[in-house]
Amino acid sequence: MSYRVERMTLSGRVAILAGALALGAIVSMPWWASQGLIRDVITLACFIAVAQMWNMLAGYGGLVSVGQQAFVGVAAYAMFVMAQSWGINPFIAVGLSLIAPALLAVPIYLLLHRLEGPYFAIGTWVVAEALRLVATNMPMVNGGAGMSLRVMTQFSAHERAIAGSFLAALLLLVTVGGSYLLLRSRYGLALTAMRDNPVAARSQGVDVQRLRFLIFVAAAIGTGFAGAVYFMVQLRITPPSAFDMNWANLAIFIVMVGGIGSIEGVLIGAVIYFFADRWFGEYGASYLIVLGLLTLMTALFFREGLWGLWRRTFDAPWFPTRRTLIQVERDVP
Amino acid sequence: MHWIEGIVQGVLLGGLYAQYALGMALMFGVMKIVNVTHGDLVILLALIGISLADFTGIGPWGVLTTLVPVGAAIGWLLQRAVLNRVVGNDPLPSLIATFGLSIALQNAMLVVWSADTRSLSGGGLQQASIEIGPLFVGVLPVIVLICATVLTGGLDAVLRFTRYGRSLRAASADVEAAAMVGVNPKAVYAAATAIAVGILGFAATFQAMRSTVAPADGPFQLIYAFEAVIIGGLGSVWGAFTGAMILGISQAIGFRINPGFGILAGHIVFLAVLAIRPQGIFQRKS
Repeated sequence: MSYRVERMTLSGRVAILAGALALGAIVSMPWWASQGLIRDVITLACFIAVAQMWNMLAGYGGLVSVGQQAFVGVAAYAMFVMAQSWGINPFIAVGLSLIAPALLAVPIYLLLHRLEGPYFAIGTWVVAEALRLVATNMPMVNGGAGMSLRVMTQFSAHERAIAGSFLAALLLLVTVGGSYLLLRSRYGLALTAMRDNPVAARSQGVDVQRLRFLIFVAAAIGTGFAGAVYFMVQLRITPPSAFDMNWANLAIFIVMVGGIGSIEGVLIGAVIYFFADRWFGEYGASYLIVLGLLTLMTALFFREGLWGLWRRTFDAPWFPTRRTLIQVERDVP
Repeated sequence: MHWIEGIVQGVLLGGLYAQYALGMALMFGVMKIVNVTHGDLVILLALIGISLADFTGIGPWGVLTTLVPVGAAIGWLLQRAVLNRVVGNDPLPSLIATFGLSIALQNAMLVVWSADTRSLSGGGLQQASIEIGPLFVGVLPVIVLICATVLTGGLDAVLRFTRYGRSLRAASADVEAAAMVGVNPKAVYAAATAIAVGILGFAATFQAMRSTVAPADGPFQLIYAFEAVIIGGLGSVWGAFTGAMILGISQAIGFRINPGFGILAGHIVFLAVLAIRPQGIFQRKS
């Protein structure tokens, strides 16, 4: 008998088509959308990217971080310094700024991986806090007063919209598309095995330590990318906004409510978070109480999230990674 | 003299940090979980204490004797309602659950007490100082340090010599084996969290008297407790105590170099310990 391995499903093909159309729509926004909508879409793209990177860390790598704002802030600051102080084209600076989180992630991981599970998480928080204090005390980035991206005035609003929309689409392509390609590859098999049981994965020849290190660095770059794009649109950065705990907060909420360990869950969670923030954000503290309690309830009673619930009923993944064996021909006895 | 004064101030500050760190070391030792609301509970208890003093007029010692049992009750409740459901090998559920609770708690405190900073009046105790040789040392920080030392010694003795301490050490070594020989893990866990948060009753009273508290301060206290535990080395209450002293001294000396550098100096010492001696100052390599 002969078999072939099938991974793509009909739902996956539809999703890829929808995704390609969505990316096309995002890139073409400057020619049809309002400034407000463009800004919203870029913000949502940043949320999705940061959450998906956290999902790769916590959902697959078993590395729970509450300090991803470290990479948001470092990349964004690197971008501001390159563009504002060194005079590099800001849109090129967004790309170059990713060197900073990549370089920083290496020593951070080497230090923190010595801490056991939950202590690793608090360790990432300490690093983010330390970096916030460094930025606050650093004359090069104007200390606690922060920086403005005044060089952006050399571009027209339309030019900025084109760059922002293009970068948002690229950000989604790299973080979501990149994660999907990774999960489909043989590394994806190793990651899924590691997610389900790290000890068993190690016994099957998966180099868990090395994989975790690579995931940590990759997530730092993806998170930094989101940070650089987000603050390029904001035009202003201060240490408290760059190293804002809320980045960890929203990543955790999005991934947990949407469904950890799935890309679909991140997309669902990000849309929910975005609209919740938009509609209820004005209630301030009461809104955050509800958000916090929802995160708590999800962790206690509902660990598979909304996508997990959906998957129980409908077997139609948008990002199929499961390998199915299909019998091609039957041998004649 | 400048530096000796810095070290003395640091040790006194460490007394407060030790009171944060003890509970965290205890809970991690027993359950291998970190309660992210640890710092928020200090703030919650402090705010309860301040309101209590405002309404009833009881002095700081009255507040202290109220907050310790209130803290223990909150700890017991936290364990029963939340932590018992998330204890396990996977660090994710306990972290996420307490992280969410921490966000909710901080904002609930913001609604109830507003963002104002408050402090607890000590009836002149804050201003009192004694002269030791050429140094003037505040009476309150000395009381805090003595209190921290007694609490650490007491907790160490409970763990070493009592029946409860034995069952707790058994549960932390191997929970299933302990359950087989008649230890009820849930009861041990509930008592551990009750003790941990009860100790925060001391920390809350002293924090509110020494400086100010505001609803958003919790994460900082959590981080100081954590740094103290890691610097000292896991699994020992005296390790947490010593780690708190080292953290306090680092911050106090940092503040003397540059006021903006104090907290950062503590973080740097923490990262340096992690780089050079990841098992902590006091833990032998296993």
